[in-house]
Amino acid sequence: MMQDDKQIKLDRMRYTKDKLSANLILVAIALDALYFVSIYQSDVGSYYYNWSIGASVVYNLLFLLISFLASEGVKSRKSGYTVTLLVIGVMQFVRMAYLPTKAHAATVAISGVDVQVMGNGQYCYVMICLALSGICCLAAAIISYTNNQKLAGYLRSVQNETAKG
Amino acid sequence: MAELSLQHLEKVYDNDVQAVFDFNLDVKDGELIVLVGPSGCGKSTTLRMVAGLEDITHGKMLLNGKDVTKAPAKDRDIAMVFQSYALYGHMTVYENMAFSLTLRKEDPNLIHKKVLAAAEVLDLTEQLNKKPAQLSGGQRQRVAMGRSIVRNPQLFLFDEPLSNLDAKLRSATRREILLLHKRLNATMLYVTHDQTEALTLADRIVCMSMGHVQQIGTPLELYDTPANLFVASFIGLPPMNFIDATVQGDQLITNHFTLTLTPAEKKGLSAYNGKQVVLGVRPENTCVGNDFEMKVLSNENLGMNTLVHGHIGRDGKGERITCKLNGWCNYKAGDVISIGITRKHFFDKESTVAIRMEEEA
Repeated sequence: MMQDDKQIKLDRMRYTKDKLSANLILVAIALDALYFVSIYQSDVGSYYYNWSIGASVVYNLLFLLISFLASEGVKSRKSGYTVTLLVIGVMQFVRMAYLPTKAHAATVAISGVDVQVMGNGQYCYVMICLALSGICCLAAAIISYTNNQKLAGYLRSVQNETAKG
Repeated sequence: MAELSLQHLEKVYDNDVQAVFDFNLDVKDGELIVLVGPSGCGKSTTLRMVAGLEDITHGKMLLNGKDVTKAPAKDRDIAMVFQSYALYGHMTVYENMAFSLTLRKEDPNLIHKKVLAAAEVLDLTEQLNKKPAQLSGGQRQRVAMGRSIVRNPQLFLFDEPLSNLDAKLRSATRREILLLHKRLNATMLYVTHDQTEALTLADRIVCMSMGHVQQIGTPLELYDTPANLFVASFIGLPPMNFIDATVQGDQLITNHFTLTLTPAEKKGLSAYNGKQVVLGVRPENTCVGNDFEMKVLSNENLGMNTLVHGHIGRDGKGERITCKLNGWCNYKAGDVISIGITRKHFFDKESTVAIRMEEEA
């Protein structure tokens, strides 16, 4: 009976969407948006006003676009998006080491007093957002890959049985 | 499956328009009933009352003996297939078929089994991953039916399901519905204005006009012994010809010809001696003969037979008439031909009710 249920579950995958992976990516997008609206909240004047703010905005747009496309792709069980998801997932961790870490370490003198660019609370918040976003992308990649492999194996076995029968 | 009993059903809308008058029908388990009639006759309203989409103003509805007159649609365990299919465009065929069961939070594996079984019955297995926009009209209609089948309802309702299909597809889908009915042995109520659908599908037909039931019977009963002028004119293609006549002893006198009544006809019409009746003649009950003459207007060759349209009388001033003659005829407009009648129907001129001959009764 358990074996039968497992077979049906696999067979169901032929017609159902991989909603878990797709939804994980949507969560990653939401977390990235939370990160992005928080990262530049600062009272320290012109610290962020350099070329990196442009690069950060462009990368963020790319992340949103690619992750949304990947979400739709994995929903339809397209294997090609696994690598893309792994890359953008890892990139979220790389981002943690760049803008937030640098801003957290930096100080700006205001009226002769050194003020930290990014406070501890904000730093923790954006780091958690990015980390969770990256984890969601990686989890979606792994779940999607595993499901696709299972489905491919099942379809092969069905084909073999049909050929034998 | 189910037995359905509709007792004195009436529908009056808020604006006091009455759409259905005293509708009575007992549907047996596994029966396919077709409600037929022209647009606005109340057949869809009746179906919607059965489905629970319209309130029943008066009367009672029993499903398997249980009174469901006031029950909401979701509690009636009835599935309805609409003319417009009502499929979700963003969902695949599989998802459309599984949707109602998913809403009920049934076990996904059980849903899967039911959807695959329904898809197998409807020959939709290859289409399960497609979206409705990628399917033909017939396939979409089958998906709509599949969505009903997976629920395993007590009663299936079809509201003009073939109206959106072209003639060829309509005929094919009609056969499929018939096969489906036999396979599922389901109780079905089917609404159509197409008499061909009614005659080919139904176990029994309910013929309606202006909210009133005109006749309930098997397709053959409605065709062969119509209850009144309306049924006679509605069932049969081309429709029955009607000629005003007066009964005089054993003679039936019309404006352009006189017929001698058979003893059975004379007996059946004895109460109408000296009174006016309506003579009904189906086009297929005519042949080349010598009962009356007609002046040809046009000629339609159908292959095995020919439809000849014209007016009664050598001068062409009588009633308009259509005859279905055997073989390939090449009459021209203005030709005068002699026609024989092989079967007559009689109707009371005032009440429009059919006058039954003894052999019919």
